[in-house]
Amino acid sequence: MLGFLFRRLGDIIPTFFGVTLLVFFLIRLIPGDPILMLAGERGVDAERYAELQAQYGFDQPIIVQYFDYLVGVFQGDLGKSFVTKRPVLDEFLTLFPATVELAIMGILFAVILGVPFGVLAAIHRGKWIDHLTMSLSLTGYSMPIFWWALLLIMFFSTTLGWTPVSGRISVMFFFEPVTGFMLIDSLLSGEKGAFSSAVSHLILPTVALGTIPMAVIARMTRSSMLEVLGEEYIRVARAKGLAPIRVIMVHALRNALIPVITVIGLQVGVLLAGAILTETIFSWPGIGKWIIEAMNRRDYPTIQGGILMIAFLVMAVNLIVDLLYGVVNPRIRHKR
Amino acid sequence: MALLEVKNLTVEFGSEDKPFRAVDSVSYSVDRGEVLGIVGESGSGKSVSSLAVMGLIDFPGRVSADSLTFDGQDLLTMPAKRRREITGKDIAMIFQDPMSALNPCFTVEAQIMEALKVHEGGNKKQRRERTLELLNQVGIPDPKSRMTAYPHQLSGGMSQRIVIAMAIACKPRLLIADEPTTALDVTIQAQIIDLLLKLQEDSDMGLILITHDLALVSEAANRIQVMYAGQLFESGPADSIFAAPRHPYTQALLEALPERSEGHDRLRTIPGVVPGQYDRPAGCLLAPRCRYANESCVKARPEVSDFNGRDVRCFYPLNDQGQPTGMATGETV
Repeated sequence: MLGFLFRRLGDIIPTFFGVTLLVFFLIRLIPGDPILMLAGERGVDAERYAELQAQYGFDQPIIVQYFDYLVGVFQGDLGKSFVTKRPVLDEFLTLFPATVELAIMGILFAVILGVPFGVLAAIHRGKWIDHLTMSLSLTGYSMPIFWWALLLIMFFSTTLGWTPVSGRISVMFFFEPVTGFMLIDSLLSGEKGAFSSAVSHLILPTVALGTIPMAVIARMTRSSMLEVLGEEYIRVARAKGLAPIRVIMVHALRNALIPVITVIGLQVGVLLAGAILTETIFSWPGIGKWIIEAMNRRDYPTIQGGILMIAFLVMAVNLIVDLLYGVVNPRIRHKR
Repeated sequence: MALLEVKNLTVEFGSEDKPFRAVDSVSYSVDRGEVLGIVGESGSGKSVSSLAVMGLIDFPGRVSADSLTFDGQDLLTMPAKRRREITGKDIAMIFQDPMSALNPCFTVEAQIMEALKVHEGGNKKQRRERTLELLNQVGIPDPKSRMTAYPHQLSGGMSQRIVIAMAIACKPRLLIADEPTTALDVTIQAQIIDLLLKLQEDSDMGLILITHDLALVSEAANRIQVMYAGQLFESGPADSIFAAPRHPYTQALLEALPERSEGHDRLRTIPGVVPGQYDRPAGCLLAPRCRYANESCVKARPEVSDFNGRDVRCFYPLNDQGQPTGMATGETV
């Protein structure tokens, strides 16, 4: 198991290099000069421009710039934002909990609804319940997030007035962040109504973000479940005289979840990509919104740092999923 | 009264108006301490009929019978919950492929103890002790260390022993073994059959042995039932069936045994295949493959009738010389 862990960690290093390479050069392919962006409408004269170029290191050959960046990254220095002049890592860590909170809720929503839907559809294969859940999940999967989010806002916030339109908590509440997770902080603050306000702000973004992963998980659970239900050991379990619910929930689901877990891991990447859209629409102060803003300003260090951190996160989650895989599937566990 | 009584068991699949009969009015009974061998080619309804006895035929399959009783209790009309109390406890089943019969996610111990927990209760310690005892009983070397093994760590023969241990865990009164040795290699086959017969003798169980290995049933079974395309073709005591088959199909099966082909260049075969859902003959189901079939065989389906104390489904059952009776000479086509 430990050897497996090290081998997988070894896999991460080249991927990490690849990401720095991609992120560094791709950003520089986007038209637009960060210095001109910073200068704003007034512009700068040639002398000041050269001075600023030297200050940010843009006068160096691009390869040198890249290696400077790389050296910084390995020392834990992601650089400073051109705009706010604050270290990228600090900004990231401040905003990160908001995104994590949203992502966790999104994946919980997806798993809690997706797995039972998939199981239900599989046991009632070919009946209306199967058709209903599968067509709903296909609809959910095909729905562009930004459009779906706007529909949700229009219906639940504007027409029904049940949920707030944007933000993480009502402006009536103000308290110092302790953990950065609004659900926890609002409870800790002890202010009356703060928690329910935080919850009501979370609902729509969670649904908007979790819909696509839910659809994918439901479809995957269904097909995996159908495959497992045809296995001989399911018949053997029934031949033992076990109740149908036990056969399905213990013998079938345990095996059916093995591929589903992989899919859940892969969905984390989709989720973070979706978070960028969801956060922008709901004015959710997380890293998605932060990166979009940085892109608009050609704030290279922020974009590089943000994407690098997200890539790192996705790799870490996939590593955890692989480890989990071994927990669920004894055949994997014992091979290593 | 026999332990298991099956009268006119029929299992149908497909639509109501055009059903496919996988099992067609099959009757048999098994008593305590008796071994019933069910033989026939693949697709003859052997497995399906025993799955019906176990209550494991799912929608859209339909099971009907004039009577299906176990120890005097009607299995068809009892509530599902009551039936599950019998399934796995009083009637147990062993399946064809041991490698896929065990759930890959659970240890040997967990899978055996589960059956015990459902039917016998008791605490974990008692169940574990009983499991160890069972593993000893089915001849697993070093059972203690095997308890915590996962199925992928076991060989085929070992897995089948575990499956058997699982089936006999609750001391069933009837054991159905559905081709228990087909997936194993020859040396292991004999061991597994010996084990099954020993268990059967020790506990006076009824045993239904489903197989297409005639040599095997000739040694093991008291009575034999020959099935073809879902129908009962011949049944009777094992030794008399081997001495003088009454049905042309039984005769052909016996002739196909390798040891009866000595002096021939090739093994003898039965031409053609078992009819499936879409190519059922209108008359006798065997007619296209039967060497004695004539026009009346092609037109009408024979019923099961008594011939010299044997149940035979044929218009022209064979006599002791292996020749069809009741047929005008030269009538064969």
